[in-house]
Amino acid sequence: MGEVASTISSLDRTNANNNSTDINWDAMTDTQLEVMERKIASKYMKIFPLGIIVWGFANTFIWLSLWPLVFMGILPLWIAFPIAVLNVCLAYLPSHDAQHSIIARKGHKLRWLNELLGHVSLIPFVAPFRYLRYTHFEHHNNANDPELDPDFDVHAKNRVEFFKKVILRKQPGSGAQEDRYVEALIRTNKAHVMMEAIIMRVGYMLILYLLAWSGYALEAALLWWIPMQVANIYIPYYLSWKPHHPGTEMGRYKDTNAFKSLLGNIGSSGMQYHVIHHLYPRIPLMHTPAAFRELRPILIRKGCDLRGM
Amino acid sequence: MIGKIIGLVFSPIVFSIAFLAPLIAQSLTALNISFDGIPNIAVGLVIGGCLGLMAHLRGSWVWVK
Repeated sequence: MGEVASTISSLDRTNANNNSTDINWDAMTDTQLEVMERKIASKYMKIFPLGIIVWGFANTFIWLSLWPLVFMGILPLWIAFPIAVLNVCLAYLPSHDAQHSIIARKGHKLRWLNELLGHVSLIPFVAPFRYLRYTHFEHHNNANDPELDPDFDVHAKNRVEFFKKVILRKQPGSGAQEDRYVEALIRTNKAHVMMEAIIMRVGYMLILYLLAWSGYALEAALLWWIPMQVANIYIPYYLSWKPHHPGTEMGRYKDTNAFKSLLGNIGSSGMQYHVIHHLYPRIPLMHTPAAFRELRPILIRKGCDLRGM
Repeated sequence: MIGKIIGLVFSPIVFSIAFLAPLIAQSLTALNISFDGIPNIAVGLVIGGCLGLMAHLRGSWVWVK
């Protein structure tokens, strides 16, 4: 108890001085490091994630606006296309924060906003919020477990193998990842949400078909279908493969790593610091870089693979 | 029954006829490409239909499996 109290007091002094170099990390015991880690993380978990809320709603609004703007000839399709690609690629992460109830937990007065963001932000990506939430929790509980991690299929020995795998598993004769997601939902008694996924996907296909036969096939392809193909490679690459590669180790400090992306932290959707998310899923995405910088000395001593970050 | 209908919506042949065929036809029109006496939608149906049939039989839209 005394050890914990002295650690907290040491951290408070550090915060006051705003200089983590004052701490002699090597002199700390495991317990002291854990206390420091939780104390630092809790500071970030209390931040209200306004940025991701704006991001989620604005992204969906912009994507929805592209349709009438293109149909009315106000915006050329060739300009709308790259915007739509960005919109669909950016649609997942606000929902990801909502999946972890970062905006508001159950019982909080803003819980409705958390759930609304989760649903609305996923519209361009045509994915059901609860389906992704429950399968994502299984990923967190079993990261890198060959049997239980619903995202385990994403693992590949290198980048080329990843791209090959991600394309092949989208083929009509494959169903590998969907099978794993269904298994995870059945295992956790959440199978009822599968219907939402089916309805959304069937609705998406029917809308594409309807648009195509109404004379808007190019618009459907460039505003939705091709952006979806890009997002279905980009999102698993940065959110699943890269931060968990090679995916051979399990455990709190071992199943996720930091990495330096060629596209930078923004271009990789903030995934350079995904290790922070797996340690503390309630830290808002936009604050994981700051949390990483502060937690870095502890993560090194805990044996995390930070890859020079 | 519902499962079969859903399977149909996602089947390569339905996708090729319902989406690829008009997409190919409208792309040809946008590029000012036409084949004498053959409507672009017919070209789209032939190309799209062949691709869909190939994907249905092979279980893959791409060459590698």
